Amino acid sequence: MKSDFQFSQNRRAFLGGTTGAIGAMALSSLLQQESLQAASAAVRSKTRQPHGTPTADSVICLFQHGGPSQMDLFDHKPELTRHHGRRYEGDLEIHFPNQAGNVLGSPFRFQPHGQSGIELSEVLPWTAGIVDELTVVRSVTTESVDHESALRLIHSGKFQASYPTWGSWINYGLGTVNQNLPAYVVLTDPAGMPVDNVRNWTSGWLPAEYQGTPFRSGDSPVPNLRTPKDVTEGAREKQLEFLRQLNTVYSEQYADNEELQARIIDFELAARMQSTVPEALDISQETEATRKLYGLDNPMTAEYGTRCIIARRLIERGVRFVQLFLAGQPWDTHSRNAESLRANCARIDQPSAALVQDLKQRGLLDRTIVMWGGEFGRLPISQGTDGRDHNRHASSIWLAGGGFRQGFSYGHTDDFGYKAVEDIVTVHDLHATLLHAMGLDHLRLTYPHDGREGSLTDVAITKAEVVRALLKS
Amino acid sequence: MSAGFRLLMVLATFAAGVVSESKLHADEAGTPDLLRDVLPLLKNRCVRCHGPAKMEGRLHLGLPQGIRRGGENGEAVVAGHADLSLLWKRVVADEMPEDAPLPPEEKAILKRWIDGGAPGLPAEVSAEPEGEEHWAFQELKPEPLPAVKDASAARNAVDLFVLSRLEAAGLSFNPEASRNTLIRRVSLDLTGLPPAPEEVDLYVNDEAPDAYEKMVERYLNSPRYGERWGKYWLDAAGYADSNGYFGADTDRPYAWRFRDFVIRSISADKPWDQFIREQIAGDELAGFAPGSQVKPEMVELLEAAHFMRNSPDGTDSSDGNPDEVRADKYAVLEGSLQIMGSSMLGVTVQCARCHDHKFEPFTQRDYYSLQAVIYPAFNVDEWVKPKERVISTATAEEEAAHAEKVRLVDAEIAAKRKEFAEWAKQHREPGVVLMSDDFDGEGRTLTPLWSNTVAGDEAPAGTPAIQVDSSAAPGAEIRNGQLHLIESGGTGDRVLSARQTIDWTPDVSGAWIQATFDLIAEGTPAPYVGYFIALRDFNDAKKLSGGNVLFDGNATGGAAVQVDYPGQDAGSVGRIGQSGYTPGRNYGVRVTNMGNDRFQIVQVVDGLVEEGSVTVSGKDLPDGGFGFEYCCGRSFVVDNVLVESSLPETQQDDPQKALAAVHVEKRKELAEAVKAIEAKRPQPIGKLALVGDLSAKPPDVRLLTRGSYKTPGEPVESAAPAFLSETINQSDFSQHLRSGMSTTGRRLALAGWLTQPGSRASALLAKVSINRWWAHHLGTGIVATPDNLGYSGSAPTHPELLNYLALQLMEHQWSARAIHRLILTSAMYRQSAAAHAEGERRDPQNQLLWRYPMRRLDAEAIRDSMLLASGELDQQMYGPYVPSERNSEGDVVISESTAGAKKRSIYLQQRRTQVTGILDAFDAPSIVFNCTVRNSTTVPLQSLKLLNSDFVRLRATAMAGLLKKQITDKSGSINDVISLAFRRALSRPPSDKEIAVSKEFLSAQPAQYANRENAAELAMIDFCQMLLASNAFLYVE
Repeated sequence: MKSDFQFSQNRRAFLGGTTGAIGAMALSSLLQQESLQAASAAVRSKTRQPHGTPTADSVICLFQHGGPSQMDLFDHKPELTRHHGRRYEGDLEIHFPNQAGNVLGSPFRFQPHGQSGIELSEVLPWTAGIVDELTVVRSVTTESVDHESALRLIHSGKFQASYPTWGSWINYGLGTVNQNLPAYVVLTDPAGMPVDNVRNWTSGWLPAEYQGTPFRSGDSPVPNLRTPKDVTEGAREKQLEFLRQLNTVYSEQYADNEELQARIIDFELAARMQSTVPEALDISQETEATRKLYGLDNPMTAEYGTRCIIARRLIERGVRFVQLFLAGQPWDTHSRNAESLRANCARIDQPSAALVQDLKQRGLLDRTIVMWGGEFGRLPISQGTDGRDHNRHASSIWLAGGGFRQGFSYGHTDDFGYKAVEDIVTVHDLHATLLHAMGLDHLRLTYPHDGREGSLTDVAITKAEVVRALLKS
Repeated sequence: MSAGFRLLMVLATFAAGVVSESKLHADEAGTPDLLRDVLPLLKNRCVRCHGPAKMEGRLHLGLPQGIRRGGENGEAVVAGHADLSLLWKRVVADEMPEDAPLPPEEKAILKRWIDGGAPGLPAEVSAEPEGEEHWAFQELKPEPLPAVKDASAARNAVDLFVLSRLEAAGLSFNPEASRNTLIRRVSLDLTGLPPAPEEVDLYVNDEAPDAYEKMVERYLNSPRYGERWGKYWLDAAGYADSNGYFGADTDRPYAWRFRDFVIRSISADKPWDQFIREQIAGDELAGFAPGSQVKPEMVELLEAAHFMRNSPDGTDSSDGNPDEVRADKYAVLEGSLQIMGSSMLGVTVQCARCHDHKFEPFTQRDYYSLQAVIYPAFNVDEWVKPKERVISTATAEEEAAHAEKVRLVDAEIAAKRKEFAEWAKQHREPGVVLMSDDFDGEGRTLTPLWSNTVAGDEAPAGTPAIQVDSSAAPGAEIRNGQLHLIESGGTGDRVLSARQTIDWTPDVSGAWIQATFDLIAEGTPAPYVGYFIALRDFNDAKKLSGGNVLFDGNATGGAAVQVDYPGQDAGSVGRIGQSGYTPGRNYGVRVTNMGNDRFQIVQVVDGLVEEGSVTVSGKDLPDGGFGFEYCCGRSFVVDNVLVESSLPETQQDDPQKALAAVHVEKRKELAEAVKAIEAKRPQPIGKLALVGDLSAKPPDVRLLTRGSYKTPGEPVESAAPAFLSETINQSDFSQHLRSGMSTTGRRLALAGWLTQPGSRASALLAKVSINRWWAHHLGTGIVATPDNLGYSGSAPTHPELLNYLALQLMEHQWSARAIHRLILTSAMYRQSAAAHAEGERRDPQNQLLWRYPMRRLDAEAIRDSMLLASGELDQQMYGPYVPSERNSEGDVVISESTAGAKKRSIYLQQRRTQVTGILDAFDAPSIVFNCTVRNSTTVPLQSLKLLNSDFVRLRATAMAGLLKKQITDKSGSINDVISLAFRRALSRPPSDKEIAVSKEFLSAQPAQYANRENAAELAMIDFCQMLLASNAFLYVE
């Protein structure tokens, strides 16, 4: 126990290694210095290998805060339209019972798209264009209708605060490919923090090195990335040389101490990060065609599109897990459901689809999972006159790439889209499946906590299972 | 080590590590998996009777060890032979579980698992059954000291325990470390600060045989000791300056009084049992009656009881439905129990919230009986929110004197701001006035110039519409020559718009247009101040795109910008500005033509442009009005609305920039001045957050079935956990409850029970406390999981030593200092940290302590040591927290000009979601519940902090200045400078090699600053910074 514990503490996310396919690609260009490679080899050898054969090396999660309305976006329900305005017959779990109204049909038209013929709402025209790349899951369930709790459930598998999030588990399980970038990067919305704040990317009780690192857009994506103003470039080089001398003298007495060695290397890596991080976030080299693809020419899509391009650039450079957040929770359509959905789609649909298309063009989609969805779904009845309330019994998400099936839809809800009734995928099943695609066995990816082996899926309670039907193999 | 202990260690190792192997095996063989399939089944079906709580037939099916051991009827499982296994025989015969036979598929799992060899069970177990016999739950019994071969290697009894195990492994202690190393080690350990050069000299040159012991005493008696060791307890106790739970993470303004109580108590070496009692039941010890006046002698005890308020508590900001609010209240009770369990009992009690604990002899009933102890102070049905729990402890005169001081500070700041506003007004860029309204004039009404419709809209924007010239909410009226915007509190967007239509897109590049207004101080400041430019088609009837650009000014800083608000295509386009919207200043926005149909929008405060902009296109800014937004608690008062455009000649942007630079400088001056005045603000007095029973009447407390407040079960009485109770210390508190109290006395009873002399409860408290202290001294506890000494915790490396130290603690009247003294004066502690091949081979993790475990300083020690080395440490103790802020880089910093910015880290704001950057980087916890063990990571973000952060650079700058001064005073040589620098940063003189590389650096580095006058100074700063970033500084050996 004790030895495990210390082993884990000494593991270093930034210096983790991998056998993944991207590994060689990114490493060779970024770690030219042989001395660095040699010095970090000892540390790296401790990094965990995948348990199985991964079909993906990285994940981009386009998280949609607030609970996107499944019956208005992905889950066509003609019965809902037929019963529009009538009383809903049957029991519903309602979050704000006083405001419960009648059945609310979707104001949007649905039609089949692509060769797969998957039906999508008219407000997702760009997603319709890539539908043959997607696995659409219409039967995701969770355990809470409270935003914070549901966010924690989808991110960490628990409704309580500050358990390790999915990105942390993947980071812990696989480490990083690129020594010069964090393995788990969070791209926050310039307009503000999402609901539940920094807890959305906490490492909980996993060591802090596995937590998500938020990158902001602009000049200083990470604090302290710029050399102090009064220090010249030459002076910085000499500083580092002097520091290395001091640390080398000190290490003579402790030749066996890996941590001291790691710290020596870190100073050089930190200095390199000062250029690699801004480079990764600099989209000025992107072609006009790419910029247009992501909607950078349109003020409505430009901001989200920029972050989608950055997500791709990070994945290209070996980052394992990138998650985009939205300020507040724009999909929480308690009132003006139709208008709000239109506005959100106008902002998010094109960049999301562009990301999938762009990854595909670059040959990256095969090894990258793109995931699109929120913390829960919404009710088939109206809240007030024109809103929809929370619903934990069904929500729709889509996944693309990284071994997920193409042009495939899975799971069914009842006639009103209220409850998933067939091929239910719990958030825990989703976790198990995601880890599986990354080559990680959710039963074996554990860490000691509270006197037991903690895990993302905690299978004894959640009964999580890998949903193999979603995967090609 | 007794055989029993050794076996238990085997078991614990098994529980933590080998399970994953068994899973592997099971998967391959197709045999059910113990952990995944079998244990959940048994826990579900059998553990209620055959578990740690009841253990009928001495059979415990909740743990692999218990299954392996079997019960009083013999072996439960014969691996490979279900037919011979008692467990299977009773199950297949439907004798067990009684009345509820297993369904066939579950039976099949059991049979396949046993027939498959019962993988996952330990090979051997102790004969003793689980339950109260667990080593940590035993009473304290004096044991003979262990025999060692080389008694000369030992200095005290601690050494005998450690040495006997080392010798058994063929190892011994390292030689003693050098005196320089020892004093730095002891000083950092006890005070969290390195020794000053003079302290080092005093010790190194002390020839007395007890020089070391005297040195240890000096640090044990230092006020810095209370701060260092106070912080350790505060972590365990879950101290934080914010309420947590929700994203808002609101302020907890009086928590610091608990922090100061802890520092004072630990500095005074208050007996630990008393210290604990005061925290559980300070109010009841003080005899404080609910609603009565606080007497001065009660104050300290009331501060102590704040321990019970450390749990996260979102009930100030819960706004969900009643179910959620109720859950939020229970969450506070749950958090408090979790903190108590992990910091005092060393048991993970929270598992028992929903069901009997699967691993510990702690039942669900125990859990709710314990909850019933604190419930009277946190009665869910008579809930008092955190902000309502504040009571006053000051006299009327004290209150008045304090209020007067506050008034003076406020007035001085207001005067400064006014002065600045005057200056700004005079230096305001001249513009052409396009529209203005000062709301003055006899009999003035709003209607001629303002409307609740937007030009072009026929109907009022929003339901219900604003009543113009009315104070009926939502309304707008002129009062005392100012515009009052009166919000109704409902949701939905409504707008008060100027009737005039304005062109918001200046024609030439460099030209601008701006809209500003004075925000007037009145009542509570609005959380948001919303206003529009380019108002058109607000009711969205025409589906035009663009326009209605909304600025949501935020009290905490800047404004969010939305384009085409409200409606289907409204979108957020970012944030502008820095200053928060606080009354008494002039706010607004400026739109500047940047060419190519790009228009930059910035925030303008007191006429000055601020950093942070968004850029939109011309079609986003159609001709339209200016207006104010009504929504969501946005009542506010404004005056002097002014829309103006730049003078025709203001097209080239250079003069504008120059002016802006002057403005920025002036604003910085103002900020500094305000901070200087703020420093004079008196500390809040006479207020504290109370913990106290609401009455003496016992509340109705229910066991919650499956942990859900929606399914309350049987009523429970307050009681202590049965497994730690005994004849001399009854579970039902009968001997601890007092009659005639004005409260229930339950917490007082629990405090008495937990510290009852000679009891197993107090023995556990002692072990849990000492184990945590040991971990602080040596990096890892005797049990590596300080929050969990139970079955599921880590195995102890030296359980007999823990037993011995606990007895010593009792013997020394619970003096923590006595235990520190024992540990620090041992040969074990005094040995060097050097590694050797034999030790590395036999005990690579140094679990047996054949060398001092060198390790990195923790976050607070790093920050505080830098401040000490640079001569800047503010040694002022106590007081309200020093606030942190997020700077423009996104880093959480303590602004250098904040009063107390250089105080020790323990005094910095401990906001749960805003951990100070330099501390966060080095693994300071963001407190959720509490923290009993810290990580120590090594990541490049730490290097970035050391190389590039203002904090470290400024410390190096100050240190360089100090060296210069000290050396100039003595006119010393370069060698003297280097030597002094090393002594300040590392508490030792440099080696010859270090002098050589330092000299070389200092002579070559100025060339890198060839064109600067201060090249030599910069080189010296670089030198100091690298010392502060070096491993020799960051590690204690």
